Amino acid sequence: MSEQITVFIVDDDEEVRDSLKLLIESVGLETETFDSAQSYLDSFDRSRAGCLILDVRMKGMSGLTLQEQLSKEPICPPIIIITGHGDVQMAVRAVKAGASEFLEKPFNEQELLDSIHVAIEKDAEQRGRASRLAEIQAKVDNLTDREKEVMELIVTGMQNKNIASELHISQSTVEAHRSKVMDKMQARTLSDLMRMIISLRPM
Amino acid sequence: MIRIVSLLWLLLLSMTNSLAYAEDPFIKIGVLSHRGDTFTLNSWGPTARYLTNKLPDYDFEIIPLDFDEVDSAVKNDEVDFILVNPGIYVNLEYKYRVSRLGTMYNLRGDDAYKVFGGVIFTRKDREDIQTLEDLHGKSFMAVDATSLGGFQMAWRELQAKGINPYEDFSKLEFGGIHDHVVRSVINGEIDAGTVRTDILERMSNTAGLDLTQVRIINPQTDSNFPFRLSTRLYPEWPFSKLQKTSDELAKKVALALFAMPKEHPAALAGKYAVWDLPLDYQQVHELFQELRLPPYDQIGKFTVKDVVKKYWYWGVAAAIVLLGMGVITSAVVRRNKRLKRIQLRMERHYERLLDSVGDGIYGVDLNGNCTFANKATENITGWKTAQLVGNNQHTILHHSHADGTHYPVEECPVYKTTNDSLPRFIDDDIFWKADGSTISVEYSCTPIKGPRNTTIGSAVVFRDITQRELVKKKTIEHQLQLFHVARLSTLGEMASGIAHELNQPLTVINNYSRACIRMLGSKDSTDESMQDQCSEVMEKISKQAERAGAVIKQIRHFVNKDLPDKKPVKVSEMLDVVLELTHMEIERKMVTLQLDIDDSVEWVLAQDTQIEQVIINLVRNAVEAMEDTPEGQRNLIIKTENQQDGKLKISISDSGSGIDKEVVEQLFDPFITTKEQGMGLGLSISQGIIETHDDKIIIEDNVEGGVCFSFKLPIVKSPKIEKENNIRKTKNKEVA
Repeated sequence: MSEQITVFIVDDDEEVRDSLKLLIESVGLETETFDSAQSYLDSFDRSRAGCLILDVRMKGMSGLTLQEQLSKEPICPPIIIITGHGDVQMAVRAVKAGASEFLEKPFNEQELLDSIHVAIEKDAEQRGRASRLAEIQAKVDNLTDREKEVMELIVTGMQNKNIASELHISQSTVEAHRSKVMDKMQARTLSDLMRMIISLRPM
Repeated sequence: MIRIVSLLWLLLLSMTNSLAYAEDPFIKIGVLSHRGDTFTLNSWGPTARYLTNKLPDYDFEIIPLDFDEVDSAVKNDEVDFILVNPGIYVNLEYKYRVSRLGTMYNLRGDDAYKVFGGVIFTRKDREDIQTLEDLHGKSFMAVDATSLGGFQMAWRELQAKGINPYEDFSKLEFGGIHDHVVRSVINGEIDAGTVRTDILERMSNTAGLDLTQVRIINPQTDSNFPFRLSTRLYPEWPFSKLQKTSDELAKKVALALFAMPKEHPAALAGKYAVWDLPLDYQQVHELFQELRLPPYDQIGKFTVKDVVKKYWYWGVAAAIVLLGMGVITSAVVRRNKRLKRIQLRMERHYERLLDSVGDGIYGVDLNGNCTFANKATENITGWKTAQLVGNNQHTILHHSHADGTHYPVEECPVYKTTNDSLPRFIDDDIFWKADGSTISVEYSCTPIKGPRNTTIGSAVVFRDITQRELVKKKTIEHQLQLFHVARLSTLGEMASGIAHELNQPLTVINNYSRACIRMLGSKDSTDESMQDQCSEVMEKISKQAERAGAVIKQIRHFVNKDLPDKKPVKVSEMLDVVLELTHMEIERKMVTLQLDIDDSVEWVLAQDTQIEQVIINLVRNAVEAMEDTPEGQRNLIIKTENQQDGKLKISISDSGSGIDKEVVEQLFDPFITTKEQGMGLGLSISQGIIETHDDKIIIEDNVEGGVCFSFKLPIVKSPKIEKENNIRKTKNKEVA
């Protein structure tokens, strides 16, 4: 992962924002701060890796609304929610909606830094998987329509002769397509191919 | 059968009874009534009851007799025994052969004396008056022309030195009461005076008379008599029987009296110690003989023959005049007697009326002495009527304030009313009870008008309000407690907001300090720029700690116990507390706060924590009222306005949907609430607080929608400026 990792901080209290920035930078991480959910959203770039520290209660757009907006994106940075006293229920809602961690103010700094590291790893993982999927998709896109048709049937576990009768073509033609598919998809075995295709399907 | 026998038996019994009572079983004791009949009955009734107890065959009764009734009562055998002063006694002895059975030992202070005398005195600084002879040509005051101890005894001594009081003094006055004589001499209004023995000592004990200021003229000493004395000693009051009264009954009565133990309730009521064998009253006879007073006033220097010879024509004329006068007099006397009886009945009627009233009522004369007191006065104050009447009411009831400091008589409202004849009503004073405790009283004093519309004293009507005051105090205490509890409960409701308020600085402090620790632990820690950065961060940490401290200070101030006193407080400081505690809630609910403060007013008179409580309640209500208002249209306005009538109006308005007319009417009732949380006490308590500040919370609809709650507080000048002004004033004075 050659890309720059950034910790994004969104809090409407300047002092909290600055103190978080100083703390996180003291362990050598890059930060970027925003004073409202809207300003973060405006400059949102899905390609940037890292994680997001989000105050749940803010003037204007709330942390939860921002989280909702981001969840529509295919890739969004993992979110660490920070809450004040009495906002625990709200935080639980945030976690259920996909936040990776929530911390109650005032929090232990080690806990925060640990959460940041977990979140960055999670981001890296999700970004890695995304690039793998993109590779598989590219291979699939390289197949001819007939090859795609044959592959769809292969991964259901159908025998060659059955595929031949299904597609009204000869068994030898099916075999030729099959070896072409395995070749183009760079799959060594049938189970390899099946894993690739299943990973493309929405979970 | 049995019935007839018992009837006969009863008859027989009653006959023997009536035989045994050959004399009337109702025995009347005439008593000289010199302080009013009620007083006499109260003083001597117990003695009569004592005798009835000792001699159960008889029923003793006290008959109060005025000075001019004594003679006829004895003459007409209307009483069986008579108790009068020694002067009247010798008259009755001379005229009607009454005879003494015993002499009373009178209580003077704590000791008992069977004799008394007169004392003649002047001021110590009157060097010109040393002996009786020096009194020649001086002014002189005695108590009364007929007073034995207060005049006649001194007269006898003066006459022995050739001084006739009626001719040889520059002025002879009668003061009426002993105390008046003493005061007139001490004040220097009169050169010399005479009073009964023991009066000077008593006034020295109770009325602050300085005995070193007094010179006794013609001082006499008697080893058995401790009081200052100028005359011979004379026996005290005798108890005597009339001539008609049987010796046997007289003996029984005398023995019963002698047998009375010391400090018997009857003796205490009559203020005497014991009865003893009768003394010789010859001294009194001699005094009257020497002074030619009745009954020895007939003895002339001339014989009757001389007079007839010289003045026969005067005699005839006088006889005719006397005859005519006699006829008129007897008619007048008869009418007088009837009037007297009616008057007595009226007086008793009034007394009964006064005694049946629940409020204490007493009268005061121009000297400040109590002239009468009803039963309720006795019951409320514990002072007996006898202790009050004739004594200074201020010294007894009023001598000190509740805190024990001296209460000058000039400040006494009763004294003032007696002086300026203006009625007064006092609702927060105290009276001292006989047992040394105090009671809270309210009372009115009204001047009493005499003839020609002059004030002759005042009447005081008072009521014990101790209980009422206690209840009032308790109610105020309870109210303060209620305010305080309500404040704590409000604070509880705001706890989450306040916790956030504290969390914010704590989080920042934590973040900064941890960052510093890491920076200082890194290998660049010696780097100068890093050290600068650290100290910069430390500065920020300190700011945050101060912020947290300020929040805690405001909370502590807000939960303070209420002091009931209002004092000058700064409007801005109260608003600071309110905003510190509520701004979290305001921001959380996306409400825009607008402050519209009138800077011309800095100080108001208020109980600050209570007013803060009211504003917080109103602000929170306003914020909650705008929950359904769309975001961006939620406006809260806190406004202060100088009303130009010495009042500052504080108003809190919202832009919510307003309040229904029906709800407005019961808005301030307790337990009325439209909220799910809360007890509905906030507004009721806020109204209570504003009422203790002499105003009411007013609700008005805003023109632009929403509701405005407002109340007013009195504006005061800065206490500091006032103080400075005072200093300046005193400085100016010094210069002047």
